[in-house]
Order: sequence, then C-alpha cells, then structure tokens
Amino acid sequence: MFMLTLGGERMIFGRYVNRFYLKYGFFFALGVLALITVDWYQLLIPDITGSIIEGIQYNTLTAEILQNYMIELMKIAAIMIIGRFLWRIFIMGTSRRIDYELRNDMFRHAEKLSQRYYQENKSGGLMALFTNDLNAVRMAFGPGLMMFFDVMFLGGLAFYRMYELDSTLTFFALIPLLMVSLLAALVSRITGKKFKERQKAFENMSDFTQENFYGISVIKAFVNELREIREFAKINKDNYDKNVSFIKASTLMHVGIEVFINVIRILMIGLGGYLVYRTIGLDLSDPGKFSVGDLSRYVSYFGMMVWPMMAIARLINMRAQANASMQRINALLDQKVEIQDAPDVMPIQRLGGKITFHNLTFRYPNSKTEVLKNLNLVIEPGEIVGIIGRTGSGKTTIVDLLLRIYNLKPNEILLDDTDIMKLPIKTIRNEIGYVPQDNFIFSDTIENNIGFSADDIDLNHITKIAEYSDVHDNIIDFPGGYQTVVGERGVTLSGGQKQRISIARALLKDPTILIMDDSFSAVDTKTEEMIIKNLQQLRKGKTTLIIAHRISTIQLADKIVLIEEGEIAGVGSHERLLKSNPLYQSMVLRQQLEAEVEGGVTCGETLL
Amino acid sequence: MAKPSYDDFDSLRNKTYSDWTIVKRLLLYVKPFMLQLVIAFVLVFVLVGLDLVGPLFLARVLDSLGKADVEFAEIITIVILYIGVIAVNAFISYHQSLLLQRTGQKIIYNIRRDVFNHLEGLSIAQFNRVPIGKLVTRVTNDTDTLNSMYTDVLINALRSIMTIIGVFVIMFTANASLTLLISLVVPFVILASIFFRIYSRKAYRQVRYHVSSMNAYLSEHLSGMKLIQIFNREEKKFQEFKQKNIKLRKSYVMQTVTFAVYRPLMYMLYVSTLIVVLWVGGTQAITTPELMSYGMLIAFTQYISKFFDPIQDLAEKFDTLQSAFTSGERIFELLDMKPDVKDQEGAIELEGFKSKIEFRHVWFAYIEGDWILKDVSFTVNAKETIAFVGATGSGKTTILSLIVRNYDIQQGQILIDDIDIKDIKLSSLRKHIGQMMQDVFLFSGTIESNIRLRDDSIPDSAIVEACKYVNADRFIDKLPNKYHELVRERGNNFSSGQRQLLSFARTLVHQPSVMILDEATANIDTETEELIQESLKKMMNIGTMIIVAHRLSTIQHVDKIIVMQKGKIIEMGNHQELLKQKGHYHTLYMLQYDKRLQAFNQTITTH
Repeated sequence: MFMLTLGGERMIFGRYVNRFYLKYGFFFALGVLALITVDWYQLLIPDITGSIIEGIQYNTLTAEILQNYMIELMKIAAIMIIGRFLWRIFIMGTSRRIDYELRNDMFRHAEKLSQRYYQENKSGGLMALFTNDLNAVRMAFGPGLMMFFDVMFLGGLAFYRMYELDSTLTFFALIPLLMVSLLAALVSRITGKKFKERQKAFENMSDFTQENFYGISVIKAFVNELREIREFAKINKDNYDKNVSFIKASTLMHVGIEVFINVIRILMIGLGGYLVYRTIGLDLSDPGKFSVGDLSRYVSYFGMMVWPMMAIARLINMRAQANASMQRINALLDQKVEIQDAPDVMPIQRLGGKITFHNLTFRYPNSKTEVLKNLNLVIEPGEIVGIIGRTGSGKTTIVDLLLRIYNLKPNEILLDDTDIMKLPIKTIRNEIGYVPQDNFIFSDTIENNIGFSADDIDLNHITKIAEYSDVHDNIIDFPGGYQTVVGERGVTLSGGQKQRISIARALLKDPTILIMDDSFSAVDTKTEEMIIKNLQQLRKGKTTLIIAHRISTIQLADKIVLIEEGEIAGVGSHERLLKSNPLYQSMVLRQQLEAEVEGGVTCGETLL
Repeated sequence: MAKPSYDDFDSLRNKTYSDWTIVKRLLLYVKPFMLQLVIAFVLVFVLVGLDLVGPLFLARVLDSLGKADVEFAEIITIVILYIGVIAVNAFISYHQSLLLQRTGQKIIYNIRRDVFNHLEGLSIAQFNRVPIGKLVTRVTNDTDTLNSMYTDVLINALRSIMTIIGVFVIMFTANASLTLLISLVVPFVILASIFFRIYSRKAYRQVRYHVSSMNAYLSEHLSGMKLIQIFNREEKKFQEFKQKNIKLRKSYVMQTVTFAVYRPLMYMLYVSTLIVVLWVGGTQAITTPELMSYGMLIAFTQYISKFFDPIQDLAEKFDTLQSAFTSGERIFELLDMKPDVKDQEGAIELEGFKSKIEFRHVWFAYIEGDWILKDVSFTVNAKETIAFVGATGSGKTTILSLIVRNYDIQQGQILIDDIDIKDIKLSSLRKHIGQMMQDVFLFSGTIESNIRLRDDSIPDSAIVEACKYVNADRFIDKLPNKYHELVRERGNNFSSGQRQLLSFARTLVHQPSVMILDEATANIDTETEELIQESLKKMMNIGTMIIVAHRLSTIQHVDKIIVMQKGKIIEMGNHQELLKQKGHYHTLYMLQYDKRLQAFNQTITTH
C-alpha cells in the first residue's frame, strides 16, 4: 500500500514526457524485467548458503550435494550477470535517450521564442534548464526508475522471505527499519537546506571574485587591494563555515543511519539466536524449527532490505527535485510562440524593396513609453537611406520592427505595399540582410561566420565579399586565414574586425533590403569611406538602410531621415537638411567640432 | 599567451609540472595540519579493525548456537559486546570524518586565500591577458576539486587499502589454505580494474568534453538567438545542435556501457570467489571440521564482499584524483605568475605632491617594437590643469596609465617631484593620484559603498558633500533610497553620465593630490552633460589635473593643452600660444566662433 502511493508520487508525468513512456515503454519494460530477474535470483543465494550451513551442522552435506549447490550458484550468477548488464543498458541507456530528445525539444522550442522572452529571461537561467533541470528529470527516469523497482521487488521479496521464516521477528525488524528510512528522509531535508546554504556561499564567492577581477582597475587605482583581500577572507571563512556545517549534518546523518541499521541487525541476530535456542530440540523438518541456517538466511535477507529502505528516502527527494525541474522545463516548452505567421499569410517569396511606414506608433511589450510616434515614411526600391538621431531616439527600434521581431498593428509597416504582418516571416528575413549593432560573431571559423546565411559555402565568393567589406587583408594575416576559429585559443578580433566581418556576413546574402545598424562605429573614417563606396556600387537597384551616429557615414545617402525622440524631425538629402533643418545643422556642427578635438581629418570644407 | 585551453580536456594537460612536483606542492599545504592528519590516519586503523571484527561476532554466534549445550547468556554477551563495538566505531568514525573534512576545508581555505591574494598583486596587463572566467574558476572550482582529493580520495583510498589488507590478514589467520586459494582471484580483479580504468577514463573524458562543448554551444547560441532567427538559420542550427547532442548522448551511453560491463564483471569475480569459498570451505567443513566451522564459512562470505567493495571504490575514485592533478597544476601555474609591475627594493613613500610631474623622453610599447609613445616629454606643474587632445590611438590614454604605473616604460623617465616613479611605492603613488576612467566601473552594492570603497574612515557626511560638489546629488536625491540605492551588476541601472558623476565623487572623497581623467566618449544626455561640465570646472580649481579631453568645453578651461598625434606631441602650450601657432588648435578655435554654433547651443538648451 505504502509502496503504491509512493509509486504514484514518484513517477513524473506531463505533456512533454508522457510520450516517452509510450515510445520507450518497451525498453523500460525489458529493463525492469531484467531488474526483477536479478532481484529474484539474488534472493536465492542466501537460501543456498543457509542449506550448506544446515548440511554442515547436521552432517548431511556430501561432496555431491555441495557440487550441485555450486552448479546452481553458477547458474544464478550467470543469469544475474546478464541481467545486471541488461537493466543498465535498457534503463540507464533509455534515460539518456530521453535526456537527448528532451534537450532537442527544448532547443527547438527556444529557437522559436521571441526576443521579448530572451530579454526577460537571463541566459544563465536558461542554461540551468538545459543542465541542472534536465539532469534532475533524467535521474528520475534512470536511477529513479531503477530504485523504484528495487524498492518494490527486492524490498518486497526480501520482506516476503523474511516473513516466511518468522513473522514476529520480521515485524520487529521492519518497523525500526522503516522508521530509520523515514527519519533519513526527514533529516535529508535538513542536510539539503545546509547544502543549499553551502551552494549559496559558493556562488557568493564566485560573484565576489568575478566582480573583483572585472573591477580590478578601480581596485588598483584606489589601492584597495588589502581591503579586498580582507573582504575575501570573510567570504572564504563563510565558505569554510557553511561547508563544515553541511559536513557535520551529513556525517551525523550517515553515521547515525549506519549505527541504527547495524544495531537492528545485531538485535535481529540476538533475537534470531533466541529463536534458534528455543527451538533447539525440534527436528529440522518441524515447521516451528528455526535453524542456524534459517538465521543465516534471515540475516542475509535483512541485508538485502537495507538498500531498498534507504532508497525510499532518496526516491522521495529525487521525485521532488525532478518534479520541480520538470515544471520549469514545461514552463519553457509551454511558452507561447509570439512571433509567427498570420493565419491569412500571403504566399509571397520575394520582395521588391519598397518600405512604407504608415502612422507607426510603437511601444515595447510591458512598457508604457512610446518609442516611435506616428512615423510616416516611404522608402523606394533601390534607395540608400541614412537614419540618424541621438542615442535612444528609436533608430534601432525601427530595425527591429522591420525584421518582425515584434508584432505590429495592421498596416503600420508595408513591404511592397503588403502589410508586414501578413508576409511570411521566412520571406521577410530571407530578403533582408542585417548588420547588428552588437556585431555578434559565433566562435566558429571566419569562413563560416561570413557564410552564415549560405547553405553551401563558396570560398571564392566569401573572399570577394570580404574584400568589399575591407576585412580580407586582416583575415589572411591570421594564422589560419579564413579557417581561423574566432574566440578560441587567443584569436580574438578587434571591434573593427568584428564589425567588418558582420558587414560581410550580411552582404553575402545580397539581400533586397540591407539594414546596417551603427555598423561603422568601430572603423576609422578612411575604411568607412571605402566600404561605403563599395556599397554604392554593390547595392545598385537594391534598398539599403544605414543607421549611424556620424554624419560622415550617411552624407552620401539618397535620403537622410532625422529621428528625434521617436519622431521624424526631417527628411531629405544632406544638402537640403543642412540648409533647412536647424537640428541637423547643429548636429553637423557639433560632430565637426568633436572630430576636430579628436584630431581627425579636417572635414570642415566637405561638410559645411 | 596562446596556450591551448585544457579546461575541458584533461588529456591535453600541458605538463608544466611533473606529477611529483604537483604532489609535493599539494603536500606543502598539508604540512601545517600534520598532527590532525596523523590522528586521522591512526583512527583509520582503529576503524578498519572495528569494522572487520563484525563477521567474527556473527561466526561466533552461529557456531555457539550449533552446539547442543549452548548457554543463551553467552549469545547475549556477544550481542552486547558487538553493540558496544558499533557504538565505539560510530563515535570514532564521526569524529575522524569530521576532523578530516575540517582539515580539508582549512587547506582549501588557505589555498583560496593564497590564490586570491596572489591575483590581487598582478598587474592590470596580466589581468587583461587571461579571461576573467578562468581566473574565477581557479579561485572557486579548481580549489573545490582539490578539496575532494584531500578528503574523499586520500583518506578513502587509505581506508580501502587498509580494509583489503585487513581482510586478508584475518582470513589468512583463520584459514590459510582457503585464503591462498582466494588470492588466485586477485590478479583477475586487478586486470579487470585496469581495463575498467582505461575505458572508463576514456569515456569520462569524452563525456566531459562533450558536456562542456554542449554548454559552450548552448550559452553562445541562446545569447545569439536573435541573429539566428533574423538570418533564418533555425533549422541549420538545430541540425548542428542535434549533432552535438548525439555525440553527447553517445558519450554518455559509452560511459553507461563501461559501467554495465565492469560492475557485472566484478560481480562475476565476486561470485567466483564465493563459489571457491563455499565449495572449498564447505568441503573442509565436512572433512576437517576443526579447520572450518560453518560460522566461519559465513564469516568468510562476508569478508569477501568487504574485500570487493573497496576495490570497486578505488577504481571508480580514480577520476577525482585525475581532475585534482589538473586543477592543482592550473592553480600552481597561476601562483607562479610573477607580478610584472611591483615595488622596487627600497621604494619610498611619496610625502605629498609639491611641485611637478615630468615625462622625460618617454618611450613606451605594449608589444615590443610597436611604439605607442615616442620620445614624449612634458611637465605638469602643481595646481595646473592640462588637457591632451588627439585622435584615437594617438597615445593620450596610455599616458594616463603610465603615470599610475599600470605599465612600466621602456625608455626615459617619469618623475614626480623629481623622484622617478619606479622608486616610489606603488601604493603610495596610486594613493596620491585619483583616477577617473573612461568606462566607470561600479560594483554591486549601493551608491554609498561605491563611493566609500570599503574605506570606513570616510564619514557619511564627506560622501554627501562630495556628491554635492560634483552635482551627483541632483540625481541621487531623486532616487527612492538616495545614497543607499542599490547598484546592480556593473552599475547597469545608471546611465553612463551618472556613472561618470559617481566616479568624480568617488575620487574626490579619497582626497588625491593629482587627478587624472579620461573623459567619456559615450553619448551622454544633455542635462547630465551640463552637470558634468560644471563639476569639471570646479574640480579643475582644487588641484592638479590631467585630462584626456573629448569635449570642446573641457578644453576651453584648462591651463595647458597638449596635442598628440601618432604617439608624439605636435603642439603644446596655453591657449594664446597655440592660437599664435595657427596650427591644429587654431582651426579648432576658429570653428568655435562660427555663428552657427549659437544655433547649436540654443538647440541644446531648448531640448
């Protein structure tokens, strides 16, 4: 009865794991069968030893009988060895398969989630789902399942055999054993708490050292090394204390449990001994007789019961952990996919490059401030458009919206006169080339980074694109050339190199619309000039949006859009804006002065 | 510098130190705790002894019960005696284990202290060479790995070995011929364990490698998800992920198979031994009962299981030892890294700053031959404010880090009050110079703790005063918790302008004789920008100040301007002098009076 409720509690169920029971039920069944077989045969061994003892004691044992026993023992051993191999392969191996499939499911789902999700959830927490939580679930399927059946069968059978031998004695053995087991479950909650404290102290130390190392220049500047060392000593001491406190509790628990079990065992020997003593006159065939062989059997069975009993406590904890972890994983898998094609999506594959903003007003989810206010703008195919404005004016938001990272109200952005919300997301993103502001580069070869969008990589083509982006010369200077792995073994790229690789990555797509979000901030003006010249040639007939801080980046654009606090503060060519727009004028002037302070090129003539 | 990263693959341990050196150095940390360890070792003997008498008690009980004239009182005596042994065993076991673990923790405490303290002494250049994550791992995880070696492996190994020997001694004394027969199994056990070691180590490495490669992949791709989505690469990346996941699964399965073979194999050997015991022992019991009683036979069956357990344990604990060696090596490598900027012998304390800071024909390169500063000479007099202007990479910022000796120069001299800064104690030098850096680093804590920087001698009033002086009070007063407002990780809940103001306050409150400032290039909102300019003007009046300037308004108020280009000084002088030169500065100045500047200023104030 107790076992059954425990079983109901232990199993983890849920939409995302139930199918595994179906899919792998057969393997689990085989594993459990092997496990039960092992348990069954394991219990036969004490009977053989017991019989041998009786045979010796009563002088009935002959060489022939002994030989038969031994042959039987060999058979049992053979079956057990095969069984033990099989249950490990079937149960543990299958749990690894579930682990694998669940991890795939999680990653596949994570790929569909919106940027809003990624902004709200730290990547550290997401990582924990993939590592700790997944492992806890796997443990429930693997070792958990094994323990569960061991408790049921090994425990149950041993109990049954003991009960057969002597019911009262078994009663006296089982009750304290159960008590120890439950006590262990309780105490392990306490040690669990201490363990968490220990973890907390460890994390604290990790955080402290990390921050200290990141801020080392401040520490050195204020000659604060000694104070930091003193502070670290405190944290170090706290770690020591928490560790010792945990160790104390867990050692006490382990030693305590061992003592309890040993004492019960000896009391069993004593009580059993008394039974033997009491029935000493009876004949071996008498049902009331408790022989020395029986006592030996009894003690062995008792030994076999200990592990399942202890496993109960571990099972309870494992179940609690697995359930909590499963819930967290479910929360990820249940996360709604916010950005997806509309039900009435139009089957459009290609775009022409026209972009229309129509009364576009936008605020980020869960935010009250309007980032963009009533934006109206038409970009014709083939235009090079510069977008300029101060930090926080809403430039990057425009890019995010064009890439359909957020959902919009109907007809706020039209691509080729079709509402962006009705276009397939795949089409939008295939047709747009994007150079992100943060220049995220994967730790892969440079070739693969530039060829990110391509299914088949053509090195010639990549080289050409890298030349257009003025990064080819840098790349061939690296020891591995295009095969150099970025971010490993010391090859780290400078900001400017990253930026130009990122430009090449987007150019390789030869997209209908190219969006460059502040893509020249880390390159010098000369390089910038060269790339822009290349762009003008490459992007003929295709739409290009260049977002920039520096006027020099966009002054040659067909059209410049000046954004100020989410609104369009001016549209026109550089010359026109310079003549008529005071905000643009002041921006130009200010940048020119700053360039002068920086000691850059004297750009007075070219700009004013 | 470009060392192979052996973090995830211990086979790639680059043997900087031999195993023996590592052991010796690890033992050095044990030395102060010799007494504790000797006690723990001695207690292990006692514990193993107490543990091994158990089966003898059982044998005695069973044999006594077999006798027709058994007195039950005898059984009771044995039981009570046995319980006594268990109680003593438990008592010793608890204290021994605690003693050991505590000692292990103390050792780890010492190692951590040494590593951290050593790291604090390294130069900023050295910090920039190693990824911070790795340094943190050295202090935390690697020391933790050592802990499991000191407590778990070392003592358990001793206990296991003692148990194995003890079992043999007892069995041999009880029945020599049977024991010799049993010993025939030993070579097979060793062979099986060696094979297991080879395969399990391989499997273990594979698992570790694939786990860390999976984690690296995940952490990178979860943070780069936006790009994957925008480039429509979900499917391709999923396939890539799947391949990694398959490799991970296979490595796990391989590990499972290794154990699935080894454990039953050991069981087979155990049963073989059991058969030998029962068969031979049983035959002896029938034929020569004086040599082998049935009680002793049962005791033997128990001893052989006590013999197999520690062997299995030893074989499976080996991995911990392996990783401890790797961790030990990494730690010692770090400890052997000599600080490259340190006090010279006989370095002196700087007693106040009186007259001037002087650069005398200074040459400097971060990388040999690539000169950043070429023959730079200038003088800053006390109470003077000097500004450096020039393009990015012209060497302005480098000058600031040389004054505080973040790096040592290759040629020339830097002097403060005619003393070479190399002859001044680093701590003294840096205490006199207040640094305000371009990227202001804030620690997690509060505004107050970020200004105080653990210096408890600074009164709260001084902090408030400093904040008022630099105009930081304007935004602090608006915060719900004022000076106790929490600063999140790296201060990301404050704008770069606000962080700048806080760094001003932080510097002022520590009362330096000289202030150096690397002006922020970041875009700062106009309101804060004005506050910054205002407080800068005030600060210029209170002492010597060296500024790397990016803003026109900053330059307008300084005493001397130095224009840098490609590591050389091209123009130097005060405002009037530079104007007369009709050079770079002149162009700049003329621009200021362009009438359109007025329009610019107006838009700034109206916005």
